Amino acid sequence: MVELVKVSKIYPPDVVALENVSILIEKGEMVFLTGKSGAGKTTLLKLICGLEQPDQGLIEVAGKDLSRIRPKDMPYIRQKTGMAYQDFKLLPDQTVAQNIAMPMQVVFRSIRSIKNRVSELLEKLKLDGKHDTLACNLSRGEQQRVALARAVANLPPLILADEPTGNLDGATTRLVMELLEECNDAGSTIILATHDKSIYSNTAHRAVQIRDGYFVPTENN
Amino acid sequence: MTLLTVGLSVLIFSFFLLINTNIIKAGAKLGDDIRLILFLEKEPDPAMTALYRKKITDFTDVKEIRFISRDMAYKKLADQLGNDSDVLADMGSDFLPPSIEVYPNIDLKGLSEIKLFSEYLEKLSGVVKVQYGQEWIERFHYFTELLRVIIILSGGLLVLTTIFMVSYTIKLSVVARQAELKILRLIGATNSYISTPFLVEGFLQGLIGAAIGLTSLYFLFDWIKKNFNNPGLFNFFEFSYIPTSTTLLILAVSVILCTGGSIAAMRKYLRI
Repeated sequence: MVELVKVSKIYPPDVVALENVSILIEKGEMVFLTGKSGAGKTTLLKLICGLEQPDQGLIEVAGKDLSRIRPKDMPYIRQKTGMAYQDFKLLPDQTVAQNIAMPMQVVFRSIRSIKNRVSELLEKLKLDGKHDTLACNLSRGEQQRVALARAVANLPPLILADEPTGNLDGATTRLVMELLEECNDAGSTIILATHDKSIYSNTAHRAVQIRDGYFVPTENN
Repeated sequence: MTLLTVGLSVLIFSFFLLINTNIIKAGAKLGDDIRLILFLEKEPDPAMTALYRKKITDFTDVKEIRFISRDMAYKKLADQLGNDSDVLADMGSDFLPPSIEVYPNIDLKGLSEIKLFSEYLEKLSGVVKVQYGQEWIERFHYFTELLRVIIILSGGLLVLTTIFMVSYTIKLSVVARQAELKILRLIGATNSYISTPFLVEGFLQGLIGAAIGLTSLYFLFDWIKKNFNNPGLFNFFEFSYIPTSTTLLILAVSVILCTGGSIAAMRKYLRI
């Protein structure tokens, strides 16, 4: 599903975010990217979803070389990639429901199915009462869950989540992980960047540690 | 604000168009009465009459050619004088020159043709002078020319204001929705998904703006017709609204301009 071959990313003037990293993530896999802040996790996710261009190396998503994709075809790649950003990227003057509905509107899903999916996600993430609340009036934890709901709304083939549990307590973290597991069971490939060891230490999923721009194998248990 | 500007531009342009349409209409009516009078040196014999007729019809198509002898001219003048015709008593019936009245198939728009025709007739042998109400025809012609220039200028104003105002409005919308557009791109919105609302906005601004302008013009037209309905003016010709086809054309041009303005703005500010 996702393959990186000898990918490097250097931010000006000479900050090395990733250096010569290679990884193959199979379709339907759930992979945890772990590592300290600034290790390169977010950069890796941004490269995979095409928000950043590598300085070197090859990135293939669903068999397509991202560097060869024409700008006009990029939206169709993004429609198949749900990304929950670390800084949420919600529209503060729109309601929770409107924020979650956006990716479904973009692919012209019916109003009824959008409504049903929004309600379902709000229920799963214990945000039932926040349907019509403006995003700017939510706590950071709630915003984080809305961002995740938006990323998984279309049940895309690839879900990228950048620190999706960073502002959540233990119980809410479990809800988020249950939702991601559910998406994974439904066939989505999931790449989750986190430094919260509790969410990957007892799973059967692969965890990959990034340290100073390099991959380092990690023990799950 | 954009709607009002577009509406006002359409109103100004179509107002002058309305005036021009009616002036041309009036001109066409007046043009039916255009005649050139050729004063002759002497009474033409039948051969000369036939020659004049041939020379005239060779130059242009005419509705009618009427030969007026000295006697006929005298009788006509006496009829016109009515009770005062006795002033002619001592003058004899042959003091007026014979003439030819020519009614050409040229309307008032063809001033240069009338001039050319007049110059040609003046050169015919035996013709002393040609008269055709030169002064008022020229004034009318220059007035219609002036109107044409005003229409072109107001048309230019319409083009500039609609394109400028619409593209400026779209620019403001793009700036106001910057964050939303950025997120839409992140979640996979296509260019057409992003640009459609702006296109619709431009289209509606053109449609509603032109509708406002044309409706205002209709009310203005109605008011003028009701308040200046005196026998001297509008009984001479029927003051009418611009034709439906022209109204639809103005509406279509306004829509095209506004939509074009929004496309230009999107290319510039959205890089679509």
